[in-house]
Amino acid sequence: MPLILHGLQPLHWAAAGAALAALTLGLLFVGNRRLGISTGFEDVCSLVLRQTYFRRDSLLASRRWRMPFVVGLVLGGFLSAAAGGGWAPTWALGMFDQAVGFGPTGKLAWMFAGGLFIGFGTRLAGGCTSGHGIFGMSNLELPSLVTTVSFMAGGIVTTQLVYRVIVN
Amino acid sequence: MSFFYLLLGTAFGFVLSRSGAADYNYIQGMFLFEEFQLYGIIGSAVALTAPGIWLIRRHGRTLEGRPVEVETKPLNRGNVAGGLLFGVGWSMAGMCPGPIFVNIGEGKISALAALAGALIGAGAFGTLYTRLQRAFRLPPIAVGTGQG
Repeated sequence: MPLILHGLQPLHWAAAGAALAALTLGLLFVGNRRLGISTGFEDVCSLVLRQTYFRRDSLLASRRWRMPFVVGLVLGGFLSAAAGGGWAPTWALGMFDQAVGFGPTGKLAWMFAGGLFIGFGTRLAGGCTSGHGIFGMSNLELPSLVTTVSFMAGGIVTTQLVYRVIVN
Repeated sequence: MSFFYLLLGTAFGFVLSRSGAADYNYIQGMFLFEEFQLYGIIGSAVALTAPGIWLIRRHGRTLEGRPVEVETKPLNRGNVAGGLLFGVGWSMAGMCPGPIFVNIGEGKISALAALAGALIGAGAFGTLYTRLQRAFRLPPIAVGTGQG
């Protein structure tokens, strides 16, 4: 199946997994940091919010590496699009367009709602696919296994409900 | 050092972009059990990262010779509840946190709305932390739920 992005062929899963593993290990071996991206939301929040939670030392200390890393994620996506056929803003969402067919306003509302679940859920769980799924599971941490099973379950139930029940 | 993390993030983002991990169709394909791609990516990443972490921790020193410090995450009711909520959001948006940033870079406009939601969701969590603490048995506020 081609990617939504310019209809490109995706990397082989093993190549992608090996690359993500190498980068995760590089972050630990060189930077002495455990991979984790969802705390990046708190980093951004801490720039404007003044509550105790966003003033804790551990958060302010990690901002120094995570903010540039997150900016890099945006840059990586930009370079991927630019090198793969040119960068251009797009509303394309693949099967969402065919099956659900919301216009721009509906898409923004749907994505915003999804984002609320992501932001609140990842912080309540203490991590996301990167911090729990890749790093925590690799480091054999029980909370990470529990969280990974939980978010996979939440995702499976939701997608099955949307695509096999509601729009079917 | 900031440049090193910027570079690492850029490479990470490029791989997410080109592998399907930041692709709405591949995320739904994973949750529909129709596409192996994402299971393969996460599975192989864990299979290779696990022995790598073990070796680095056994070595005990970073490249610069500092002691390796891996702060572990706490176990509490938030893992299940937050995980379930995050799963709903991952399915709805077709992106987890990393790919939200990657999709913005790619030019996918709706990812901006997902980021706005995620920031407000995280902001709400931090604001309500002391009220959620007892119900979910969360650690003291100075510790937080763990970096991830």
